[in-house]
Amino acid sequence: MEPEKLQGMKDAIRGRLTKPMRYYLDLCTRCGLCYESCHVIQGIHKREYSPVGRAEVVRKVFRKYFRPSGKFLPSWGEATDLDDRVMDELLDAAFSCTGCRRCVMHCPFGIDTGLIMGIAKVLLIENGTAPEELLMLSDAAVEKGKSIAEFKDGYRSVIYDLEKQVQERLGLPSPEGVIPMEKKNANILYVALAGARSIVNPAIIFNAAKEDWTLSFFEAVNFGQFLGDPEKMKFIANRVVNEAKELGVKEVVIVECGTAYRIPKFMLGPLPFKVTSIVELIHRYLKEGRIKLKEGALTAPVTYHDPCQLGRNGGVFEEPREILQILAKDYREMSPTREFNWCCGGGGGLVALDNENFRIKSGKPKRDQIVATGAKVVVSACENCISQLETIRSGYDLDVEVRYLTEIVAENLVV
Amino acid sequence: MWEFFSYFVMVPMVYIAFATLILGIIFKFIVVYRSPGIPGRLPVFPMEKSKTLGLLKEAFTIPAAFRGSKPFWFFLVLFHAAFTLVFLGHLELAGDIPVLRSIPHEVFLGAGALGVTLGVSVIYFLFRRLHTPHREISVMEDYVLLLLLFFTILFGSILHMADRYGMTALNIPVGDYRVYFSSLLALKPRMPVMITASPHFIIFILHLFFANLVLIMFPFTKMIHAAFIFPALSIKRK
Repeated sequence: MEPEKLQGMKDAIRGRLTKPMRYYLDLCTRCGLCYESCHVIQGIHKREYSPVGRAEVVRKVFRKYFRPSGKFLPSWGEATDLDDRVMDELLDAAFSCTGCRRCVMHCPFGIDTGLIMGIAKVLLIENGTAPEELLMLSDAAVEKGKSIAEFKDGYRSVIYDLEKQVQERLGLPSPEGVIPMEKKNANILYVALAGARSIVNPAIIFNAAKEDWTLSFFEAVNFGQFLGDPEKMKFIANRVVNEAKELGVKEVVIVECGTAYRIPKFMLGPLPFKVTSIVELIHRYLKEGRIKLKEGALTAPVTYHDPCQLGRNGGVFEEPREILQILAKDYREMSPTREFNWCCGGGGGLVALDNENFRIKSGKPKRDQIVATGAKVVVSACENCISQLETIRSGYDLDVEVRYLTEIVAENLVV
Repeated sequence: MWEFFSYFVMVPMVYIAFATLILGIIFKFIVVYRSPGIPGRLPVFPMEKSKTLGLLKEAFTIPAAFRGSKPFWFFLVLFHAAFTLVFLGHLELAGDIPVLRSIPHEVFLGAGALGVTLGVSVIYFLFRRLHTPHREISVMEDYVLLLLLFFTILFGSILHMADRYGMTALNIPVGDYRVYFSSLLALKPRMPVMITASPHFIIFILHLFFANLVLIMFPFTKMIHAAFIFPALSIKRK
C-alpha cells in the first residue's frame, strides 16, 4: 500500500478510537466465551464468523500500526499489514456482522464487536471497497436531506392515495387529513419507511386512537449507519431531528425498524423530544384505552422474534408480548429469548446486500428456534427482520407466516 | 555474571517492575481519558436496578463464563480468587501491615494450597487453549503470559514448600524476606545473607525474575483486563 494511502487508513482508525473502543481493543483475553454466540458461526463454521475471530481481524491491524509490539515483534499478537488479503478479511468480517450485540451478553467484559466493526467499515470506505449498495443508498438518503423541497410534492401525491386506504379501513367520511403532513406543534412526528405498509397501518392506528400526529418526509432507515460512515449516519439521522425541531413536536415515533429506533434513542445524545417505537406507542394506547383489539383473533400458534435493536439494545421486551397476548389464542416464546434471542441475520444492512445464500445459512439458529416453537405465525417489529425471516421461511421451506406487528394490530382493531 | 544477574533481579528490576506497573496503568488510563467520548450511549437491556452492584456482581462472579462453560468458570473464579489472596499474602511480606499480619504467614499463603490452585488453573487454561476453537483464536501473547505465570507460581511454590516442610537446609526464613522487602520499600536495598547463601537462592531469583516480568507486562498486555473490566462493564450500563 502506498504511504499516502496507508496514512489515510491510519487516520481513519485513529478517528474511531473513542473511549469505549480503546477499552474494547485492549482488554480482550481471547477467552473464547463469545465464540459460539454469533448466529453466523452456528450456520457457517469459520473462525472469522465468531465475534472474537471478527474482532481479531481488526485488532491485528490495530496492533500493527498502534502498538510497539506490532512494530518490533509482530508475531506477539499476530499483527498484520493492511494488504489486499486483510482488506478482504475486513470486508468479510464487517459485513457478516449484523451488529446484533448478542456477543456482548457472552463476553465477560461486555465487548461490543459491532462497535469494533466500525473500524473495519471506515477502512473499507477509505479503501474504496465498501459495499456499493450501501454507498448508493446512503448517498441517496443524504441527497434527499439536502434537497427535500424537490421531493415534497411527489411524496404528497403518494400519501394522498394512501389516505384513501386508511379512510376505507376505518369507514371515515373523507380521506382528507387522515395522514397529516407538516403539521406544526403536533404531539407526534411519525417516521416511516419507504413501503406503503409502514405508513398505512400506523395511520390506521393513529386515527383510531385520535392522535394529533404528522408524518415525516423522511424514511427512518439509516444506511449511513449500515455503511459505517459516522458523518453520513449523523446527517441522515439529523434530517428527522431537524424536522422534529422545526415542527415543534413533543415526540418522535419510529416505524418498525430497529436501527432507526436505536440511533435517535441512544446514539445521538440528548434531544429536545421523546423518542418512542411504534410498538411502545401501540402498547400505551392499549393501556390508556384509546384503542381496542379483538381478543384471541389469531387462532394459529404465534411466536415473536425480538429485533435485536429493539429488545437487547433498546429495552422493548414487554410491550410487543403484551400486545400479542391479547391478539393470540396460543402465544409461544422462543428459546432462548429476550436478551439472549438469536439474531435473525438480517440486521446491519445485510438484507440490502446480494448475499441470500449466506443469510439462509446464517439464519439457521433462527430457523431452528421457530421450528421448535411449532408456531405458524412469526411476528416481528423490524423491517430488516421481517425481510430476513421471509428469506429463512423460503430458504428452509418453513410452513409459517411472517407478519409485522403493526399490520396485525391494524387488522384486528375494534373500530 | 550470576552476581550481577541476581543483584539486577533483586534490586533494580523490582523497582523497574513496580514503576512500570503503576505508571503503565496510569498511562493506559490517560490514553483512554484523552480519547473522545461517544455522543450517545451503548446500553444493553435489561439493566439492573443498581448499576454499581450489578457491575461488581458481573465482574466478580463472571456470569458470562458460568453460562458458557462450567469448568472454565470454575477455574476462572478459582484462579482469580487465589491470585488476589497470593497478592495480599505477598504484601504481608513487604511491610508491616498489621491487618495482614493478624493472619499467620503460613495460613495466608493457603498452607501451600494457593500455589497448587494457581498452578492447576494455569495448566487448565493452557490446555484449554490447545483445543479447537480456542487454539485458532490464540496468539503468542496468550501462551507466553500463561507460561510466565506458571513459572512464577512454580518457583514460588517451591520456596514456600521448603519453608513449610521444614527443609532447614533449603529454607529461607520468612523474617529474611521481610528484611529484604522492607529494605526495598525504604529505598535502602539489602540482600540478606540467608537468602543469598541459601541453596534455594537460584529458585528465589527465578521466582522474582518471572514475577517482575509479569508486573512489567501487566499494563501493556491483555492482563490490563484486571483494571479495564470495570469501566468496560459500565459502558453497557450507561
